Amino acid sequence: MTTVIETVKLSKWYGSVLGLSDVSLKIEPGIVGLLGPNGAGKSTFLKLVTGLLKPSLGSVSVFGEKIIGNYRLFARIGFCPEQDSFYDEMTGWEFLTGLMRLHGYSAAESRRRATHALETVELTKDRDRMIRAYSRGMRQRLKFAQAIAHDPDLMIMDEPLSGLDPLTKRKLIRLIKNFKAEGKTVVVSSHILPEIEALTQTIILIHQGKVFAQGDIHVIRDLIESHPHLISIKCDDPRRLASHFLRAPDVLKIHFGSDGRSLLLETNNRDQFFGRLTAVLAEGRFAVEEITSPDDNLQAVFDYLIEK
Amino acid sequence: MNEPSRKLSVWTGFAASTGRVFSLFFARGRKARRTKVLFAFSFLPVVVSLMLRFHHVLSESRSFDGAYYFSNIIMVFYLNLIVLILALFYGTSVCSEEVEGRTLSYLLTRPLPRPTIVLGKSLAAVLLIAEMVGVSLLFSFLALNFGHLSPVACSRLLKYGGVLFLGVLSYSAFFVFLGSALKRSIFFGLLFSFGWENIVQYFPGSTQRLTIIHYLKSFLPEASSGRFSFLTFRLEATRPLPALLILTLVTAGFLALACLVFSKKEYLYED
Amino acid sequence: MTIREKGYSHWDGCLSARPRPWWPITRMGIGLMLKKKPFRFFYYGGFIPALAFLIGIYISERIEDFRYLTRGSQKILEVNPAYFKAYFTSDFLLFMLVVLLAVGGAGLISEDLASNSLQLYFSRPLKKRDYLFGKAAVLAFFILTLTLIPGLFFVVFKLLFSGSFNFLSAFPWLPLSIIGYSGLATVFFSLYGLCFSSLSKNRRYVSLLIFALYLLSDLLASIFYDNSKNPVLTLLSLKINLQQVGAGIFKQKPPFPVPWLWSLFVLIVLASAFLFFLRRKVRGVEVVK
Repeated sequence: MTTVIETVKLSKWYGSVLGLSDVSLKIEPGIVGLLGPNGAGKSTFLKLVTGLLKPSLGSVSVFGEKIIGNYRLFARIGFCPEQDSFYDEMTGWEFLTGLMRLHGYSAAESRRRATHALETVELTKDRDRMIRAYSRGMRQRLKFAQAIAHDPDLMIMDEPLSGLDPLTKRKLIRLIKNFKAEGKTVVVSSHILPEIEALTQTIILIHQGKVFAQGDIHVIRDLIESHPHLISIKCDDPRRLASHFLRAPDVLKIHFGSDGRSLLLETNNRDQFFGRLTAVLAEGRFAVEEITSPDDNLQAVFDYLIEK
Repeated sequence: MNEPSRKLSVWTGFAASTGRVFSLFFARGRKARRTKVLFAFSFLPVVVSLMLRFHHVLSESRSFDGAYYFSNIIMVFYLNLIVLILALFYGTSVCSEEVEGRTLSYLLTRPLPRPTIVLGKSLAAVLLIAEMVGVSLLFSFLALNFGHLSPVACSRLLKYGGVLFLGVLSYSAFFVFLGSALKRSIFFGLLFSFGWENIVQYFPGSTQRLTIIHYLKSFLPEASSGRFSFLTFRLEATRPLPALLILTLVTAGFLALACLVFSKKEYLYED
Repeated sequence: MTIREKGYSHWDGCLSARPRPWWPITRMGIGLMLKKKPFRFFYYGGFIPALAFLIGIYISERIEDFRYLTRGSQKILEVNPAYFKAYFTSDFLLFMLVVLLAVGGAGLISEDLASNSLQLYFSRPLKKRDYLFGKAAVLAFFILTLTLIPGLFFVVFKLLFSGSFNFLSAFPWLPLSIIGYSGLATVFFSLYGLCFSSLSKNRRYVSLLIFALYLLSDLLASIFYDNSKNPVLTLLSLKINLQQVGAGIFKQKPPFPVPWLWSLFVLIVLASAFLFFLRRKVRGVEVVK
């Protein structure tokens, strides 16, 4: 797969404050979630990738070319900034068509693209209202629209879902997933874990300016050996079920629920455990209601890695 | 594509990008509410001209030398106040407004060379100011010279208009540079306009040549002495051609510096 | 025993209104303005006339020591109400007050408008008058430190250097004049700065407007006066009005043959207009069509 974004030892200082430290990674087509708490360095990373900031050390290349001073690349890049700022006294329509004209499109083409973008984010009926009369969610959708209107190959979105209602969030998540289906690349940053989880399984975890982990959420989870996997099972006879695992060397702990119908196991080899569980359940002697992995999610991955 | 064609294509693309930025911000500037306020502000010399005219009508004076008042009062108004204020505001706004309004990222993430953003916005600012000052100057002239219009008077109007346009160009270029390089550009701009320019222009010898207004005044026709001859007070005029050359260099130089600074500088938003 | 959540416990006391609800606004505003380098530069520069006049008071009491400088001139420095009037109505001091408004005062309300903070203010138990008074008090602090405080210091140092109360017994009304003129200048400039600050979210635009009005009024007045020689036209100038009122308050001859009460009337009308527009513009909710 061709690398879309590549950073080599990328670092950024703001005076004596470290923004980003020694980040070397490759981003391939698809959706990548940039995850981290506030102040982690997500926005700094995105601004470095878009050339809005210059690296203190290291380099950034997009589509195989250096981004700094390479304005032609922006024909293929769409950026949705975090700041809720617009030009005063412009309508949504004027804002979008104006930005499209800056891309070099003709007046007719700019109007066509602006119309399509506004339809996508459902702002068509409000297009002639002043932007300062827009609600928070409408302004966020307008920002989204200006990032996608010129049909870029790479979309870089800094907290694109902030301020949106759940319905609109779902629509935009679906839209972002459609971009992936079209072969485009989307880098989305957020500090809200369920948003990233809804979008993608591929994450880059940033904290205190450093990349803690990169890759599939589940693969990362498996790599965290210091935190054994938790498996929760609800069944009719938890104690009898547990007896099948007492001798298993990969099962480290077993807790029984106070309701008398659940048990929580800790295992350091999830695959082996599930193989054994499947064999036991296939005998048909247990009525299992539910099997879940309470910590096989982004929150747990995030918490464990930050703790490290 | 051969080398000369490629260079031509680069320059054409550069000019086209500048044109696109210009048309967006010129249209935006014309519609802005503050443009209406500043347009009204630029019309104050017209009000003054009308009041001077009415005063003479009411006082039944025999003769009214409109040209004298135009040269010595109205031009002072334009050169020492109107052009400075408008150039200071619009010039510093070219870069500062994008940074303060946090809209810079919308421009920097378009396929536009960075200098075209500065040049396009500067051109829009200059034309907005020129429009305001030009219309106002015309009306002031008509108010003071109505009934005494002659080819000489009209050529004087064109000359003064040209001087003001040169002033708009050179001051705007300087303030665009200030706006691109400094955070608190408005304060330094005020210090320059109403400190340096206002004081040093009256210094004797070569010192007065360190001001922009000296070269602008050098183009003005020999004004008759009188109680209003502030403009030509202690003026040791530079010859027109060198003055034009220096003003052109000032304009081009500061615009080039502004483009360079804007291309290299990182603009961080204040929290 | 009820179980309390960590970090929160309901306070069972009774809420009482704060005696000075505007004070946190003023305190924060003063702190923020003093943090800005350009503002500090101009503010400290505004003390230059005060220093010069204070030195003049010292010299006036030690005139024999400086006789060699005067070369036979009898009276070069006499500290009297005219001396005080000269300080309070000096072009430099009035110009510095306008510069402080442009550099520091321009952002007082405009930055709140730009960041949409008015809703945050008025969602607290804070009335509009407390908000406006708090903001005005920020400007009043700086203006009074350049007017009232130096004026009172001049009186005190004059008494100290002269070693007697003769000065005060000769001009017992002088401290009241100092307080009166300082109060008038403070109210006028505070309302002037705040009114313009409330007109726009763009602080740079407001700074320019504050500056432009002051310069423009002076330029218009001098053009019309020089042309017609009608002193009433000098009432167009903010600076001249303040100087006329200053002369009246310190019982001196005004610079122009216009009754100083007319200038006072002009300033009161302007201040009222500023207050009117200020109250209209500052609202908790902005209705945008």
